[in-house]
Amino acid sequence: MNRVFLLPLMVLSLFTAGVLSALFFRLSPGEIIAALGSEETRFALRLSLLTSIASTVLAMILGVPTGYVLARTDFPGKAILDTFLDLPLVITPLIAGVGLLFLFGQNMLGARLGKWGIHILFTPLGAVLAQTFVACPIVMRSSRAAFERVGPRYEWAGATLGLRPSQVFFQISLPLARQGILAGTVLGWTRAMGEFGATLMVAGAIRFKTETLPIAVYLNISSGELGTALSCAWVLMATGFVLLLALRWIGHTPRPETLPSR
Amino acid sequence: MAMAERLSFIRRMFLISGAVLALTFGWSAKGFSADLLLFAGAGLRQPTDQLIRTFQEKTGHTVRVTYAGSGQLMSSILASGQGDLFMPGALFYIEKLENMGRIHSLKKVVAHTAVIGVNIHKENLVRTFDDLARPGLRLALGDPKAMALGRTALTILSHSPLKDAILKNVVVYGATVKQLAIYASQGDVDAAIIGRADAFQFRDRMKMIPIPQEYFQPETIAIAVLKDSKNAEAASRLRDFMASKQGIDVFEHFGFLPLTADNGPKGNP
Repeated sequence: MNRVFLLPLMVLSLFTAGVLSALFFRLSPGEIIAALGSEETRFALRLSLLTSIASTVLAMILGVPTGYVLARTDFPGKAILDTFLDLPLVITPLIAGVGLLFLFGQNMLGARLGKWGIHILFTPLGAVLAQTFVACPIVMRSSRAAFERVGPRYEWAGATLGLRPSQVFFQISLPLARQGILAGTVLGWTRAMGEFGATLMVAGAIRFKTETLPIAVYLNISSGELGTALSCAWVLMATGFVLLLALRWIGHTPRPETLPSR
Repeated sequence: MAMAERLSFIRRMFLISGAVLALTFGWSAKGFSADLLLFAGAGLRQPTDQLIRTFQEKTGHTVRVTYAGSGQLMSSILASGQGDLFMPGALFYIEKLENMGRIHSLKKVVAHTAVIGVNIHKENLVRTFDDLARPGLRLALGDPKAMALGRTALTILSHSPLKDAILKNVVVYGATVKQLAIYASQGDVDAAIIGRADAFQFRDRMKMIPIPQEYFQPETIAIAVLKDSKNAEAASRLRDFMASKQGIDVFEHFGFLPLTADNGPKGNP
């Protein structure tokens, strides 16, 4: 490895470490303990985990098959549809939130859904939808890349040997593309976990109801309680770190890609 | 000989550059143009933008304005130790910084009173303050810790005998007042307790219902020069300009009220 590549690595590590330690040194141990013990932080952590896991599952259900279709088929206007599906990545989350607010507001879908007993605005469900909206393109994009990397040859082989299309997908394509899909899911999940702007608009900032960790951070910054805000931020980062590491470890089991190539 | 000439040339260059520097500084002490940083409450954006433009043309100073929720601004001031002026949505935030010794001086500008903003399609439902207690009404309030009007709303409710019934109708808490105004104007909630200026801004989509005067005192908008300011003189000039007749007129144009003996400064609840 050329030593030149080590320099950016060092700069990047120092940069990240600098930001994190700057955040850390503002805190006294007392503040961390108080924040960890507070009912509000624990509620926010629980809600963040629940909503982000729910939205990641939703994003997988929607994103993985979409990625598969985009990787395996060609149709007129595909480039446009493809770019269109990426738009949520570009929209400012706050504006995505306003869009969701309009869509699920009383004037559009809200009234009808309300009759069926589904309430999206100002509920944790709204937070899930907001997070799903931002996580979907990430999961979709990386699944597509993963399916493209694997290529359709094994699928053809499976089909020739009599597998039904659903069997081909679940027994060949999905296991082969697992690594890339997992990586994308992790990214989407962290994005969902840290989502703030859209959640704020759709779910509101209701303490002990729609207060996810990012909302808790914002509320406490808004009320000038930097200590609590930073402690919540640390809980968010620590949780993210542990879960990312765990997923990385899961991903390191022997990979199907090591099948002998043709 | 040549050596001596060169030395005297260098000496002359020093003299000339010294004179130029002295002139520059002497001049700048008079016509010096400062670069000011103002932290302003997000709800004050419209009048502030307009006044800042006038101030810049008049004085040649440049003013950068950061708009956000008042509490968030206070955190920024405390964390960064920078900036020249602070104009939050309630006097409370300036008082908090004053107690920490971070305020140089302040002037009161206008009153910011709270009203009930009622969605235009729900105006039959809410005609008086007490209608907020109607069962099934959907109400939005500000988070009491995060935003000035959230605190005001809590003060208002604490004076109403219908407090519990009204709180039962709250379906969402917001972090900024414009967020509440959007909810009420879109019909996502039926009504919200917001600033008069915010209801005024959305006047084609919502009706304004007054809140009984004995329930609360309007917030005072004041502008403070920060101790951190390195341009206290220019900052003081902006402070005086905002609090001048011209400044107050612009604020009134956007729905704020002039300060009177009745709606004067308000203590901490």
